[in-house]
Amino acid sequence: MVCGEEKMKLGFKIWLLIIVFLLSLLSIFGMPLKFMETGVVITNLDSNNTLFEQGLRQGQIITTINEEKIKDLEAYTKIINSMYPTEKDIKTTIQTKTGEYILFGQEFPNLIVAKIPKSNIKLGLDLAGGSRALIKAENKSLNSEEINDLVDITSNRLNAFGLTDLKVMPISDLSGEHFMLIEIAGATPKDLKKLISEQGKFEAKIGNETVFEGGNRDIASVGRDAANARIESCGQADSGYACRFSFLITLSGDAAKKHAEITDKLDINTTSQGTYLSEKLDLILDDKLVDSLLIGESLKGRVETRISISGSGKGATEEEAYENTKEEMKQLQTILMTGSLPYKLEIVKLDTISPLLGEEFINTILLAALVAILVVAIIIFIRYGNWKSSMALVVTTVSEVVIILGVASMIQWNIDLPGIAGILATLGTGIDDLIIILDESTHGTILNLKQRLKRAFTIIMGAYFTSLVSLLPLMWAGAGLLKGFAITTIIGISVGVFITRPAFSEMIRKFKKE
Amino acid sequence: MNLGKFHDKNYKKLLLIPLILIVFSLIYLGVFYSNNQDVIYKDITLTGGTSITIYDQISIIELEEALSAELVDLNTREIYDLTTREQKAVIVETTTEGDKAKLILENYLGYELVMGENSDLEFTGSILSNSFYKQLIIAILIAFLFMAIVVFIIFRTVTPSIAVIISAFADILMTLVFVDLIGMKMSTAGIVAFLMLIGYSVDTDILLTTRMIKRKEGTLNNRIFGAFKTGTTMTLTSLFAFFFALLVVKSFSNVLTQIFTILVAGLVFDLLNTWITNVSILKWYVERKK
Repeated sequence: MVCGEEKMKLGFKIWLLIIVFLLSLLSIFGMPLKFMETGVVITNLDSNNTLFEQGLRQGQIITTINEEKIKDLEAYTKIINSMYPTEKDIKTTIQTKTGEYILFGQEFPNLIVAKIPKSNIKLGLDLAGGSRALIKAENKSLNSEEINDLVDITSNRLNAFGLTDLKVMPISDLSGEHFMLIEIAGATPKDLKKLISEQGKFEAKIGNETVFEGGNRDIASVGRDAANARIESCGQADSGYACRFSFLITLSGDAAKKHAEITDKLDINTTSQGTYLSEKLDLILDDKLVDSLLIGESLKGRVETRISISGSGKGATEEEAYENTKEEMKQLQTILMTGSLPYKLEIVKLDTISPLLGEEFINTILLAALVAILVVAIIIFIRYGNWKSSMALVVTTVSEVVIILGVASMIQWNIDLPGIAGILATLGTGIDDLIIILDESTHGTILNLKQRLKRAFTIIMGAYFTSLVSLLPLMWAGAGLLKGFAITTIIGISVGVFITRPAFSEMIRKFKKE
Repeated sequence: MNLGKFHDKNYKKLLLIPLILIVFSLIYLGVFYSNNQDVIYKDITLTGGTSITIYDQISIIELEEALSAELVDLNTREIYDLTTREQKAVIVETTTEGDKAKLILENYLGYELVMGENSDLEFTGSILSNSFYKQLIIAILIAFLFMAIVVFIIFRTVTPSIAVIISAFADILMTLVFVDLIGMKMSTAGIVAFLMLIGYSVDTDILLTTRMIKRKEGTLNNRIFGAFKTGTTMTLTSLFAFFFALLVVKSFSNVLTQIFTILVAGLVFDLLNTWITNVSILKWYVERKK
């Protein structure tokens, strides 16, 4: 009876490894298998694109155009170039995996596509290419609220500039300093430095006349607390729900006067939604129009320093409408704050990395890993003269790498260069532990095999915890730029200790019993 | 068991080897510190500065000759294709500020350097890199401290725990002297390698101490020899794996080259410190307890 239970337990550890291994493959390659798919993936399309209005979105995969199969990027470019531009309007049917989109016109709308990635593994900037900047305030230490404002303002500006594949986030390091980290994937924007080292220019215009500009001279404050900003009157709209928001901004006396002068000249229009002035208030960020607001008739010609800005948001459910409205309001508040942060920005780190060497680089790393594993297998074979154990060791080690990559794909962790160093570090300690298991199982005679393997795990757990704790400081040190190393190593050694090494010890037990 | 007898007689004397090396290392680092105000040479990731990668075939000797007066602390490297040995790019490192360095290089090359097209730029401000450096040092100290605490928790006896900690410390110390001797300019990645080294050096020590202190079967020498066989297999596999990986990445990635070099050196010192330093201290401890 005891023996039977033990046998089930034995199987369990190897089964666990097999299941986790398969799940990892699934997580890496997706279902259906990613590298088998044909077509091109949409990486960027503007929200004012006609295809966007029909429901086409970033991330969707175009499979055919006018019923011609799109095999790869080349085929896509060939088809588009052969059709556009034309003299007369033509019809184009774009088929994606989820739907069909129809276009009429002489020009193909601006759509950026790329080849479908072969796997779900996401590479960090230093391998895939892109640019990265670390920004702080000059001569000032920002608190977390200030850095969040800066992050919002900067994301808004970069989005308005047309950059979409980007990450802007606040980070802090061990010394408590706050930074803004900007990561832009792909090609480096031409005026990157200017774009990120300045707060940006905000102007509000009516027609061609500037009413007020960003900065404390014109806008004294933007209401963001409960007393000055609120979401109200959520209710059912045509096909879903809608909410309204309003918040107060305070203008300087000069700006208010200017506002009155300009609005005084405008006519009054009555629409179904209410009575407004004939011209809108255009919000312009870095010379690009980002929003237009209707001006209520009551403001015509009045010198008013406190102006209420209102708008609405929609959603399929009331909750979604509320969230969208909140987002809309925040977006507007952020735009109005642009240029008014009371400090200058300083680029403390700026890196651009070409994707030129990326692919070769990965091949080199794979080669290095292959060579390393081969060397280890040979040494183990020479040392123990047992090909089964050597094979088990290679299988265990390879599955450890696959599981690390699987977990990284699942949590969408980008594998960067420090991350690769982390995987290598894990393999090193992993193999060390496997050797301990192998040796403990052959070593000593007083104890039975199970006890000996248990002892091996005492040593392994000890080594595991020392490694684990020694990695923790790296999560924060150096503005988190080495976090990739800590994360992959922690995933790796944890997978090793809890999944692959127990399975390996089971394999060794099976071999011994045979 | 001649070897055993020899060891029984001489293990205390053997301790002199690491002791001399440790004393030498400390003196060396002391002198090094007074000359350089630090215990390592730092590259631009730790001092601040600019690294420009130019994707073109350029003679680095001519470039250095022409520009060493203009670009402060000029340092150049080439990137080769692994199979064809063809030069793919040149990396120029200097502490001169980014835009200025770029301009000087453009004048020399006679064409414009466009970031992300024919070149790449990495710039790190000196204040940031100094703070990085400080934090990484703190990270290593904290890691070392954590490691020491875990070791104490595992063994719950003072001398064996201290022996493990001394061995790990000696590994780091000797590796530090080694990288200074070969003139390696340390980057952030290099410091991370030292962190990895803590983990690698400790696991053979834990193996040894567990076998010597916690186990009772066989004679002490048998247990040491058993641990030696396991431990050297562990270290040698890692050593060879890293060594061959180093050969592959050498012409390609400075980051990985540095990590592997430090690990290879560290593992060699680990052989010494585990099997002489740690064994001798532990044996002394066990014999005295008898």
